[in-house]
Amino acid sequence: MYPELAKCPRSLLVCEKSNFEHEKSRHDTHVSKHYFNHKVSVVIPECGALSSRLATVINNFSKYFLVKNLPVYEFLDKDFLKNVVWNGALYALSYKTSIDQDNTIALLPSSQLILSVDKDTYEQLGLEGKPSQYNHRQPMRYVVTIDLTDKSMDPEGKRYQRVLSCLKERVPLKSDFLLGRHNSGANGDRALQSLLSRYQWKEHRPVVSSHTLKDLPCPSLHALDLRGDQRSCDPHSFLEWLGAVSAGVSCDNTAASFLSTYICPEPQTLVSQALHCTVSGLLLPEDIYSLLQELRRYFDEPKFTSWLSLTVHGFMDSPVSWGDAEHGFHKGGENFYNLVLFKNQDYWLHMGTGSHDRCPP
Amino acid sequence: MRRADIKDEPATYERLVYKNTSVYHYMRISLVLENENTRLSAAQLKQLIVSGLRDLYGEVGSAFPFDLLKFDARALTGVLRVYNSGLVKLWSALTLLGSYQNERCSFRVTQVSPFLLTLSGNSRELELELD
Repeated sequence: MYPELAKCPRSLLVCEKSNFEHEKSRHDTHVSKHYFNHKVSVVIPECGALSSRLATVINNFSKYFLVKNLPVYEFLDKDFLKNVVWNGALYALSYKTSIDQDNTIALLPSSQLILSVDKDTYEQLGLEGKPSQYNHRQPMRYVVTIDLTDKSMDPEGKRYQRVLSCLKERVPLKSDFLLGRHNSGANGDRALQSLLSRYQWKEHRPVVSSHTLKDLPCPSLHALDLRGDQRSCDPHSFLEWLGAVSAGVSCDNTAASFLSTYICPEPQTLVSQALHCTVSGLLLPEDIYSLLQELRRYFDEPKFTSWLSLTVHGFMDSPVSWGDAEHGFHKGGENFYNLVLFKNQDYWLHMGTGSHDRCPP
Repeated sequence: MRRADIKDEPATYERLVYKNTSVYHYMRISLVLENENTRLSAAQLKQLIVSGLRDLYGEVGSAFPFDLLKFDARALTGVLRVYNSGLVKLWSALTLLGSYQNERCSFRVTQVSPFLLTLSGNSRELELELD
């Protein structure tokens, strides 16, 4: 048979082990730089229901807006730039645009406007950009990055006028957008409301769902054994188990089963109950960070479990994954991270990406 | 009592980078049948895929294991797990499968990933209404 048939696109999994209290621990950067998050899922073994403190944090996740047919030049409005964009903490991502076929637009909280556009749009647009890193032979997709905090983008400057006219007259790019904002200053609220009032929009709240799993085989993990040599299972098996729990896959099989031979990895223990809670929507890194801080406090009181897990899935069609690293979609647009929190504030961080992504930071 | 080998010392920093080390790929599939009332069990679905593989690649070419991790008989959707080396064969066999018990059918592959975890976090399924 042809050997090419056995090849697969590359995938990357980066695993880190550290302690939250280490001076150089980078967990906060990893969380805050993963801008566009679509789903968060928490798994806590030996837990029956969300504690009231955790529930409060989850219910306080910021609301976000869906805006219909918003032209991109609206982000360059002087009032909006001054009161919302330059203050940071505005997240905007085009909605229902597939990055492998459509024009996809994102505004990062670092005030960078990213346009990932096809070749035709790029040529008509007349703005300087770079060919996407994930083109095949011929460049078919280009990425234009505009730093809105740059001096040349001063609303009185020539470059600002040029960008505005490209987006307003040459190619009036528009799309449905998801908008999320963390800081709520009065001026910012006013500027955002004035933008929304000109278009059709709706406010959404993140959707929370939680359920308890009974008699679940659970892998035993030991903080010092990240590789899974002896006292833990290896990272891939652990993530596969988490995936099985999230997708409702049964671990109750034998090696001779016809349908499935999947079993929980060794070493394992049977837990009487486990909590699985998910939140989905446009979730802001700031909110995820406060959830992480609350989860760290989970072990303040004695618990039966020695670990718990927090998984964060990024938007598959976001033009960036971590920071401004370009993200694409090949067979899947996976970009996710998972934190395993241990009793003594040790943690494991797993970051996974598919073939159209740079190595996670 | 505490076991002697378990210490509470904080973990030292360690970073591991795994490239292409996932041995499996996972697929979320759905089956579309001509007659919406036709029902089939998980075992029948797996048998259908096995026979599709055998038709396309022959007895020897199709001799590789794959798992039907999950099957929803009402929605006719499922999750498959296959060794990386079998992904292209399985996918092509699914694409070319066209009939179940003399009834026309087709498989839709909705998601493919080397991580099972990402199959439960598909942002393309995020449906938001405006009204």
